[in-house]
Amino acid sequence: MSTNGKLKIGMYWAASCGGCDISLLEIGARILDLTQIADVALWPCAADFKYKDVAAYPDGYLDVCFYNGSVRNSEQEELARLLRKKSKTLVAYGACACDGGIPALANFKSPKSIFQAVYHDNPSLDNPAGVEPQPETPSPFGTLRLPIFYPAVLRLREIVDVDYELPGCPPQADRVWETIQAVVSGAVPPRNNGLRVGCTGKTVCEDCPLEKRLVKISGFRRHHEFRPEPGWCFLEQGLLCMGPATRGGCGALCIKGGLPCEGCYGPAAAVEDQGAAMSGALGGLLDASTEERAQELVSQISDPSGRFYRFTTAAGMMKVHGQGGQS
Amino acid sequence: MDLQPSAQSEADNGNTASPRVGVFICHCGGNISDVVDVGQVSQESSRLPGVVCSMTHMFFCSDPGQNLIEQKIREEKLTRVIVAACSPSLHEMTFRRCVARAGLNQYLFEHCNIREQVSWVISDKKQATRKAGRLIRAAASRAVHLKPLQRRRIPIHPSALIIGGGVAGLTTARDLAQSGIQVTLIESSPFLGGRLASLHRIYPTGMKARDVLGPLIEEVAGNPNVTIYTNAQLENASGFIGDFRTTIRVTPRGVTSECLNPQEVIDACPEESLDPFNLGLSKRKAIYKPYDGCYPPVPAIDWRTCTKCGVCFEVAGGKGIDLEEQPKLVEVRSGVIVLAVGLNTYPVRHAEYGFGEFPEVVTLHQMNRLLDPQGPTGGLLMVNGRQVRSVGFMHCVGSLQRKGIHKPMRDGKINEYCSRVCCTTTVHTAAELKERFPEMQIYDFHEDIRTYGRKHEDYYDAVSQKGVVFIRFDPLRPPRVQRDPKGKAPLVVTTFDRLTFGEELEVPLDLLVLAQGFVARDMSKLVDLYRCSVGSDRFLMEVHPKLRPVEMAASGLFLSGSVQGPMDISESTAAAAAAAAKAASMIRTGVIDLDPFVARVEENLCSGCKVCLTVCPFQAISRDEARGIAVVNEALCMGCGTCAASCPSNAIFQDGFEDAQVKAEVLALLEEPSLVAAAD
Amino acid sequence: MTHTETAPQGAVEAPTWEPRIVGFLCYWCSYTGADGAGSARIKYTPNVDIVKVMCSGRIDPELVTMAFSRGADGVLVLGCHPGDCHYINGNHKTMVRMPLLRRILEDFGIEPQRFRHDWVSAAEGEKFSRLVTEMTEQIRALGPLDWPKRMRDLGVGHGAGLGPWGEDHR
Repeated sequence: MSTNGKLKIGMYWAASCGGCDISLLEIGARILDLTQIADVALWPCAADFKYKDVAAYPDGYLDVCFYNGSVRNSEQEELARLLRKKSKTLVAYGACACDGGIPALANFKSPKSIFQAVYHDNPSLDNPAGVEPQPETPSPFGTLRLPIFYPAVLRLREIVDVDYELPGCPPQADRVWETIQAVVSGAVPPRNNGLRVGCTGKTVCEDCPLEKRLVKISGFRRHHEFRPEPGWCFLEQGLLCMGPATRGGCGALCIKGGLPCEGCYGPAAAVEDQGAAMSGALGGLLDASTEERAQELVSQISDPSGRFYRFTTAAGMMKVHGQGGQS
Repeated sequence: MDLQPSAQSEADNGNTASPRVGVFICHCGGNISDVVDVGQVSQESSRLPGVVCSMTHMFFCSDPGQNLIEQKIREEKLTRVIVAACSPSLHEMTFRRCVARAGLNQYLFEHCNIREQVSWVISDKKQATRKAGRLIRAAASRAVHLKPLQRRRIPIHPSALIIGGGVAGLTTARDLAQSGIQVTLIESSPFLGGRLASLHRIYPTGMKARDVLGPLIEEVAGNPNVTIYTNAQLENASGFIGDFRTTIRVTPRGVTSECLNPQEVIDACPEESLDPFNLGLSKRKAIYKPYDGCYPPVPAIDWRTCTKCGVCFEVAGGKGIDLEEQPKLVEVRSGVIVLAVGLNTYPVRHAEYGFGEFPEVVTLHQMNRLLDPQGPTGGLLMVNGRQVRSVGFMHCVGSLQRKGIHKPMRDGKINEYCSRVCCTTTVHTAAELKERFPEMQIYDFHEDIRTYGRKHEDYYDAVSQKGVVFIRFDPLRPPRVQRDPKGKAPLVVTTFDRLTFGEELEVPLDLLVLAQGFVARDMSKLVDLYRCSVGSDRFLMEVHPKLRPVEMAASGLFLSGSVQGPMDISESTAAAAAAAAKAASMIRTGVIDLDPFVARVEENLCSGCKVCLTVCPFQAISRDEARGIAVVNEALCMGCGTCAASCPSNAIFQDGFEDAQVKAEVLALLEEPSLVAAAD
Repeated sequence: MTHTETAPQGAVEAPTWEPRIVGFLCYWCSYTGADGAGSARIKYTPNVDIVKVMCSGRIDPELVTMAFSRGADGVLVLGCHPGDCHYINGNHKTMVRMPLLRRILEDFGIEPQRFRHDWVSAAEGEKFSRLVTEMTEQIRALGPLDWPKRMRDLGVGHGAGLGPWGEDHR
């Protein structure tokens, strides 16, 4: 361990795609400023670190540790607890750690059905013996261990006390830099409701450049099916945009890039269940005077639960499928 | 009474961190306590978080009961009060006032219904006790999150706009004007009087309709507080409760009182059309007066028939006729609006009971014109030059319709309701016929006779005794009307008669009168402009048929007369007087006092996404472009909470029904029933 | 999940499960209708706990998902008949929200009979009582939903001492 007076920062990836790790590099040249004042004491994505070395750090050694990805297995839980001990400030980094993210969509299925799909039914498999991963396997070299696959995807805050949550898939670069600056300078980053930092108090609609005409939605289409009229709200044109129900902070990046918002910054500040909030709003915007017509419009949305809870399945009210082994 | 809570308690109010909750459980004289063990519930409630006192009483709504609550509020420095008793619809206001007298904001009170929804509907006492305990626990949980609220007080401009110049509109206008209130009365046709003007004699007094109407119109037109616009229609409406701004479009009359020889002018006019006043039984000129004694006494031009040939102008010597007059827009400001637009008669279909097929089939309203000595036939009852010696009356035409038997109207609905006044009008007409033509043979085809009103049954008795034959048909097999193949009479009505055990009868008739029912007018523009509640029978809906029978949900709007549903003249004038009394009372108060359950926007959370604007049924929300947020107009907000449910940011909430309050209530209901012993 | 808890022989009798249904009723029509059932002394199953709101338009999907996730075996939403809404069309707004809400509940594996949206007017006390009894028996046949137990079984929200919905159990 070095004691050169520089700050120690860490970035750990759990059930993650690696995008958050890459996003740390999005701060661009500012990373050089960062390395002036801080050392990276843990970053499995970028370099080789051993868990035993991390365990040997004194408690609170990491001034700030970013934990990205959700918790799907026992290893990720173990590291969450370890890093909590070893960090002064623990930040849930990105949609997965904050809200469950894309991995949490698996909560609509049971572990049994996931394993069935992955290890038995996948057409490109060659697994005649139907082998599934086991937590313990005896071998001539001793017992081989694999992490235990948990029955549900969890957020970081369900495992340990979290100091801040930085949402986004991934968090937008300027927000990341602001958060880093605030934390390393010892200042409390501006919080907007609960633990969230790096986001505004409102929704993406605040930053969206498209104009609303107060037209009701008369049909849903996907963005490969038509060319939306420029300058006009996507949602009103029938292109499902989660903007109204999504925390602001990214500056409406996707929309400015011509695509509707997918909701990666999670629910608005005062909302617990992003999917329910969106469905309540959408209900009021449908051009339907009968329930039948509303049903017709709704059936044009492909996978509404998946779209509305895309990043927040583990964060809403229900979080998992109710019937366990039946899905 | 303006209840001022003390400054001290207002300051303590709204303190959710350390609430002091008082629970008061009513025996309701046994209605509750015979089933719910109120003593046990009170004991349990005293152990709830935040509860500092809990007690029961025989009748909390009584004076001693209320005094006890007030006393406890002061003694225990309560910041929240729960009363568990009968339905809030009975005494919620009572207890709110009680709480306010003790110095606590009246909206820090929560009413829990354990009578209508517990003790009266559950037989098992243990279950009822458990449920009462649970509901009180939920109320206490919700109460902790309540905030002090102030009722809205919106000033009212001391004036009234009355839409509709029939007997109801005129009655309301007279009553309001006589009490000193400025009234603007608008009537869409060129003449006042509505339907009443075309009636002949009316029950129960047998007076002539125009003898009733005349003095009423004089009282209205002669009152300096009244401004009348005829030929006036609603163009636009804006403003809000207490300060309505209505734009009316006044179609030109074309004639003024400067015309000195109106009758000559009328006679000279070469254009004619069917006269709606006589229900199409005669013609009228393009420049016309419906009857002598009409108001205004100046003729009007029917622009649809007028060809602007100019003959009237010549005959009038250029005086008082202006064919080029333009419509004008007038803005009327009023504190209240009274809707008195009346209704229509059911448009009998072609070939329905032979109507339109045979000239011998007429409606009851047409019959009324035929009997009027000032009507199109001078009171002679002749059809096709033939003296009428036998008349049939067919009840329930367009009313009490049955699915599959009767054709729906244009909106796809049939009229399942009874039109109320047609039975009495029919037997009254039959009585007049018997009086004037004693030898007339009269047959009455009905499925039911509803002469419900005071003295109405007398007509029924009288005509029965004079030999009117009553035949009761089966509504599922209505009578058929055809030309009489035997040629004995122009028509024959064939029907099964339930009074003679289903015998089929053939009744030859010279004239068949259809007692047509009533239907609502096409009020889509009115409904749109004023956002009226409409019943499934298409008539406008009052807030509550017993407690607030002439008020609409939108405050400041009143219903006068048959716009609310079929009613006769006495009922219309009674309703109109009620509307006037209510409107006057509101104006005299000077302010309108509304529920505080309005929507509020939390500025820091609102991103101006406009979902709430789109869903608000009252268009009470607008967007402040400068700040980029939604803004609620408190005077327009009716407190439904639809915006709060739709907001994807939870940035708009409803006072009194905030998410935190509703969620606390639900969570408390779902907690494990730890307070009730398992083995009981 | 169709069992009910019953005590073993000889032990102190444990409470048997009773369906717990949260009913959101609009004040002007359905709540008054429920009062009407009371005035007529119609007896019905006590399993629906009524939460009063001014208009069924106030009921957003978040309240429904919250009720289910926190232990309700069923949720009932009652409003005025279409055309009769005291607030013109608040009930209509709720009706149009329903297909989406039902789809979400279905995707989360909640049996459709557990959620019911219906119309009850102020004069339909009889209908209200029948509706409640019917729904109670349907849900009794399905058994408890007990979502909090599912959360516990799946280990949701255990680690930091906070419950699945952020409740502080420390």
